[in-house]
Amino acid sequence: MVSLDQLKEEVKKALSSGKVKYFIGYENIGSGWQVRPAFIRQPEDVDRLVWTPACFHNLVRFLHDEKRRRAREKNPDIRPVGLVVKGCDSRSINVLLQEKYIERNDVYIIGVSCELTGVINITKLNQHLNGLKPQKVLFGSKGTFKVIVDDREIEIEAPDILADRCLECPANFPVIADVILGEEIKRNPGNRYQSISAYEKMALDERWSFWQQQFSRCLRCYACRSVCPMCYCDECVADSIAYAVTAETTADEKAQKTRWVERNPELSENIFYHLVRAIHLAGRCVDCGECERVCPVEIPLRLLNKKMEKEAKELFGYEVGFDPAQPPLIACFRDNDPQDFIR
Amino acid sequence: MMEKTILKSSFPQWIKSLQSFKVFIPKRENFGWELSSNNQILEIASDYTYPVVPPKKLIFPQEEIFFEFEQNPDNGIELKEVLPEESPQVIFGVRPCDGRAVEAMDLVFGGSFEDLYYWRRRRQTTLVGLACHQPPSENCFCLSVEGSPYSEDGLDILLTDLGDRYFVKALTEKGEKLLSEAPSLFKEITPKDREEKERVHLEAQGKIKRHLNGARELPEKIKAIFDSNFWDEESSNCLRCGICTYLCPTCHCFDINDETKSLAPLRGRRIRTWDTCQFPDFTMHSSGHNPRPDRASRLRQRLAHKFLYFILLYDRFQCVGCGRCISLCPVGIDIIEVLTRARNHGK
Ligand code: SF4
Ligand code: SF4
Ligand code: SF4
Repeated sequence: MVSLDQLKEEVKKALSSGKVKYFIGYENIGSGWQVRPAFIRQPEDVDRLVWTPACFHNLVRFLHDEKRRRAREKNPDIRPVGLVVKGCDSRSINVLLQEKYIERNDVYIIGVSCELTGVINITKLNQHLNGLKPQKVLFGSKGTFKVIVDDREIEIEAPDILADRCLECPANFPVIADVILGEEIKRNPGNRYQSISAYEKMALDERWSFWQQQFSRCLRCYACRSVCPMCYCDECVADSIAYAVTAETTADEKAQKTRWVERNPELSENIFYHLVRAIHLAGRCVDCGECERVCPVEIPLRLLNKKMEKEAKELFGYEVGFDPAQPPLIACFRDNDPQDFIR
Repeated sequence: MMEKTILKSSFPQWIKSLQSFKVFIPKRENFGWELSSNNQILEIASDYTYPVVPPKKLIFPQEEIFFEFEQNPDNGIELKEVLPEESPQVIFGVRPCDGRAVEAMDLVFGGSFEDLYYWRRRRQTTLVGLACHQPPSENCFCLSVEGSPYSEDGLDILLTDLGDRYFVKALTEKGEKLLSEAPSLFKEITPKDREEKERVHLEAQGKIKRHLNGARELPEKIKAIFDSNFWDEESSNCLRCGICTYLCPTCHCFDINDETKSLAPLRGRRIRTWDTCQFPDFTMHSSGHNPRPDRASRLRQRLAHKFLYFILLYDRFQCVGCGRCISLCPVGIDIIEVLTRARNHGK
C-alpha cells in the first residue's frame, strides 16, 4: 500500500533540500472527498497532500506551463519540478523525453504504484451508490475501494468503479521515477482493447454517423487539448488566431497565416479539429484518459485514441511510453515497416 | 400577473396546443440534460436537474451569421444580410438562476446600443421557469448572489411542482399568451394551492448547502488585491480551457470573423461565435502584445467581470450561482472558495 506519510516525507525532503523548485501533487477540494492538483512550494505545506482513488488527474501536463515560464524569464530557476505520477502518467513523461520536449533533469518523479486497483470513474461510483453521497473514497485492502457513506463503510470491488483506462492498463507501476512508493504487483490487464471491440464491429458508414453525432455537440472549449500531456504545441492548427505571434512577427507574415479550422462549431470544423488531434496523437497518446474525463458533454474521445493506439501496435509493433530512447513513431521508419512507399 | 394550476396529466395537452411555437423541453442524454425540440417529449421528467449547456445558447447561439459576401463579375462585392428566422420559441424547464442569467444578458445586449441579432431571438422567446424543489447541483449558491430557487426574474412563467399539478404563475404578457393557447386546462387556484407553493419554495431554500458570504463586499476587495500575487496562486492549476465560461449562463463574450469559402471569386461570410477571456488569444493584440498574458490575469478577469465590473455598470452580480463552473472545472477551481479567500486575503 502507498503510504501517505512516506509521500509527504519524500516531498518534504525534496523541498527542504532545494532539490526541486516546487512540487505538484493532489489535495482535497474543500471539505469533500474529490481532489485537485496542488502546488506545494514550502516544506510545511506537505500536509495538504493526499493520495486517494480520486487522484485521476495526469499532472505531467503542468510541465508545459513550466517550460513556457522558463522561456519567458531572463534568468529562470531551472531546478526540476516535482510530480506525483501513476503508471500511465509516467509513460507520458517518457514520450516528452522521447520527443526532447523536456530533459530528464527537468522533472523529479515520485512514482506511485496502483497495485491491484487504480483510479475511479465518478459516474460509475455514483451509479454504484445509487443516489447515496460518498463522504470519503479510499483504497481498501487487496483490490478493493473503501467508500464511506453516511458514516458507514462500503467495500467495492475495484473493477466495478475503476476508470475504463485502468481496466485496460499495461503499466500499473511507474515505468520511470526517482522514488517509487507502493509495491510492484503484476496485474493482468486482460484484453487491452476491450473498450473498442463493439466499435470495431461497426461498419464504416455506421462509424461515420456515430462520430458525426458525437462531434456535433462539441463546444470547442478545448478542455481535451488543454488537459492532454501530449498537446504542447504553442501554435495549434485548431486556433483561429495563431497566438504564437510575437512582437517580431511581421504584418505580412500574419496576413499570410493559413487558417485551417474556422471558429464556428459546425460539424465540419469540429471533425477537422478532432481528426487532426487524433492523428497527431497516434503513437503518442498514453491513454491516461484525461481528455475524455474533462469533456463537459462527454464525447468518448478515448475510443478514438485507443483505436489509434491499437493501429500503431498492430501495424508497427509500437508501444507508447515504455522507452524514452525509442524513436517517435511518426518521426521514424524501419526496414521492417509494412508499407514500402517510404523506402 | 395571472395565477393558475394545471394537472400534470393535462400538461402534454398544453404542450401540444403550442403549435405555433418551437418548443424546447429537457431531454435526458448520456451526458446530462439537454434542452431539446424533438417534439416527442410532452412533460418535464421528475428527476430533471438542469441542462449542461444553459438556455443562453437558444438566444445567443454559439454561431451567428451576420452577412454573406460575394464578388460579382464586375469586381464589386455584394453583401447579403442574414437575420435570425422569425420563429417563436418556448423553453420549458428554465431554472430560476438561468432565467436571471438571461436578464443579465439583456443588459449587455440592450441599453443604448441594441444588438439586433440577440433581440430578434430574445423577443421571440418565452421562458417557462421551473422552481427548484431540490438544488439541481450540490454547488448551487443562488441565495448568495441575490437569487433564489423560486426567483421570477427574467422569466415569463414560473411553474412550481406540487406533486400531481403545477402552480402556474404567468409573469408577463408573453406568459399569459401561452396559457391562452389552452385556457380550459388551467384551473383557478385555491388557498391550499398557494399555501403549498409557499411551503415548497421555503423548503427548497433550506436545502441549498453552499454559500458565498458577503458578496457585496467583493467589488472593493477585488480592487484592493488587483495587483496582488493572490491570483497567481489561485490559478496555478488552471488549464486555460473554455469550460467555465462557455457553460456559464451569463458569459456572453464573442469573436467576429470573416470566413472565406473561396478566394477567386471572393466568397464567404461574417460570423459571430462564442469566445472566452480564458483563451490566450482573446486579448492578443496584432502587435503581439498581450495585456492579459497569464492565467492569473485571466482568472482575475473572469471573477472581476462578475463581481466588480458588472456591479459598477449595472448594480448587480454577473454570476447567478448556478454552480456549473464549479462542478465542471477539470481541476477543481471553485468560484466560491476563490472569492471567499479573496475576501479574507490579507486579514
Ligand atoms: S472537451 Fe469536449 S466539448 Fe470541449 S473541445 Fe474537447 S470534445 Fe469538444
Ligand atoms: S489524448 Fe487523452 S488519453 Fe491520450 S495522452 Fe492526451 S489526454 Fe491522455
Ligand atoms: S460564474 Fe459559475 S456559478 Fe456563476 S453563473 Fe457562471 S457558471 Fe454559474
